[in-house]
Amino acid sequence: MKTILKAIFALLMGVATVWSYKVPDIAQFQAPGFARIFLWHFPCPMLFTFLLLSASWFSIRIFQRITLKPFAFGPETNAEAKAKWDIRAVACMELSYIYALLTMATGVLFSEIQWGAWWSWDPRQTSFLIVLLIYAAYFALRFAYVDPAKKAAHSAAYGLLALLPTLFLEFKFPRLPQIEQLSLHPTDSILAGKIKGEYAQCVILILVLFAIMTVYLYNLRVRAGFAEIELEKYYGNLETNGSDPTPTGVVRPVSLSE
Amino acid sequence: MRSMSGLVTGFLFSAVTVFAISFASLNTKLSGTVVAGMLWVALLFSAASSLPRTFLAEEEMGTADLLRLVARPHAVFWGKALFNIFQCVVTSTLLSILYLGFTSAAVPIPWLFGLSLFAGCVSLAGAVTLCGAIAAQAANRAMLAAAIAVPLLLPLVAIGVGGMRTSLGDGALSSGGSASAIGLIGYAVATLATGPYIFAAVWKT
Amino acid sequence: MLKVDRLGKKYSGRWIFRGLTFELGQGDRLVILGRNGSGKSTLLRTIAGLTDKTEGTVTLPDGDPRHMLGLCALEQSVYAQLTVEEHLELTADLRGCPARIEELLEKIDLAYARDVLASHLSTGMKARLKLAMAIQANPVALLLDEPGAGLDEAGRNLVARITAEQAERGCLVVATNDPIERRLANLELELAV
Repeated sequence: MKTILKAIFALLMGVATVWSYKVPDIAQFQAPGFARIFLWHFPCPMLFTFLLLSASWFSIRIFQRITLKPFAFGPETNAEAKAKWDIRAVACMELSYIYALLTMATGVLFSEIQWGAWWSWDPRQTSFLIVLLIYAAYFALRFAYVDPAKKAAHSAAYGLLALLPTLFLEFKFPRLPQIEQLSLHPTDSILAGKIKGEYAQCVILILVLFAIMTVYLYNLRVRAGFAEIELEKYYGNLETNGSDPTPTGVVRPVSLSE
Repeated sequence: MRSMSGLVTGFLFSAVTVFAISFASLNTKLSGTVVAGMLWVALLFSAASSLPRTFLAEEEMGTADLLRLVARPHAVFWGKALFNIFQCVVTSTLLSILYLGFTSAAVPIPWLFGLSLFAGCVSLAGAVTLCGAIAAQAANRAMLAAAIAVPLLLPLVAIGVGGMRTSLGDGALSSGGSASAIGLIGYAVATLATGPYIFAAVWKT
Repeated sequence: MLKVDRLGKKYSGRWIFRGLTFELGQGDRLVILGRNGSGKSTLLRTIAGLTDKTEGTVTLPDGDPRHMLGLCALEQSVYAQLTVEEHLELTADLRGCPARIEELLEKIDLAYARDVLASHLSTGMKARLKLAMAIQANPVALLLDEPGAGLDEAGRNLVARITAEQAERGCLVVATNDPIERRLANLELELAV
């Protein structure tokens, strides 16, 4: 069944690729033929944003598992639950960064073909570069911590702290009046009804296919992470004589000191 | 604490930056946008290099555990953030006076300049305090704190430059100047409102 | 007063300790023994909430944990630019408990050094100051990590007095390998490496 689904997906991806070469040109671009890269560019920032919001939600869940009381005395152990939310959050972050890089790569190609330079300090290009830097720092932070609990909590905190500036850079900054007038970036969108017909249908198909691929990759990443936890638990239990661990210490009474 | 080294180092670093920028633009009439941009770059690097010290020093001196044992996380956050805000406001005010003096730039809308500077300092200090706390327990904490703070503060710099350039005579209040000031205040409020909760989650982990 | 149930701490894929269960009542004095690297200090830090536990629970009587628990650890530092008296004022302010400066200074025999900066204190004087800060709120559970390290004969007698007082007030956990400090306890916990 899974093989059939994968075959259907591959077939549809092939159809989308061929279709992206066949759809009629949009005249408003300087090089309408090359501007078809838009069909592959457009889904990337959308999925990037969706994954980023998902990662933020998972980060909040990590915090919910950490008691906010001054001392961490609690009725239940939460390290495993926290580790699982961290795996979900980092899976989203990794995938979102891939989409961010794809957005930048396709954007730079578009820039060269349409505006005549790989980099034109277009406000949207520039703000997205800052977003890339912000999330590069997220991964630098993860590398800096060895202890999984610290890694999870500190990177989740940074992820949440970075969300507001990222949303500002993505949605508000390019639309500021003094910035918008400097931008070369096309503002026409499917929602504004400027991109319609076959062009819009093709871009929606690619978006849906990318979304399916994202869900598949996310599940794969999360399952691998969970398997790692199970494996570590298994070896940990071997180390301490099974799942019902023998205490590593023994409390015994001693005679009172004189 | 009693140490004035953070304040002095921060100011010295900024003063040297300002002097270098002013020297680089010798005999050139700078536009309000350039003056605002350069001032904010100096503020950004001054804040990112000196303000995280409040947390980094606790970890380096080994006093962080004492604080964790006796203080509520919110009290620690507010103590550090208020100290950083004070340090940032003092440094930035002195820096701005020095910079405006060097560049002979006029300030047609002084209240907007002051508001941008103050709200900018509160936002910078709030965000950098959190970045300091987030990086403090890592091995390469000093470099990491600056590396995570600078990209995060670039949007703030963009808003700050928007407000300050208007106050220096480039652009009208209606075409973004007042919106930038509101944006800076919003950023400051958002950082200080969420800061204690984010801090509480990392402080004892 | 202090209940530890199936407590475990894992670091870098290795269990430092696991499945530790004990309950201390009033008057109980537990000494934690074990070779270097067996996790004695980590256990105290985990009980104090300074390190995340991997599994298990630690329960103290209801109330503000900052008043219920005191910790004096070897690696804990003091503020170089504060005096002895300012340390006691600061910790009392942050905890929200009475400072008891005179009483504590007399108890730890540091009244003569109340205005001395911590940077000018000897190792033994710093250890006394840390002890004073740990017992300032009259905690029901007092955790001491190598309390005799750096202390002279008088200092060791002070530790003995403080532990005796603590046993009247609540319970005590001491991590040590010192045979003299071992005699302070009525319970032993030996951690395997």
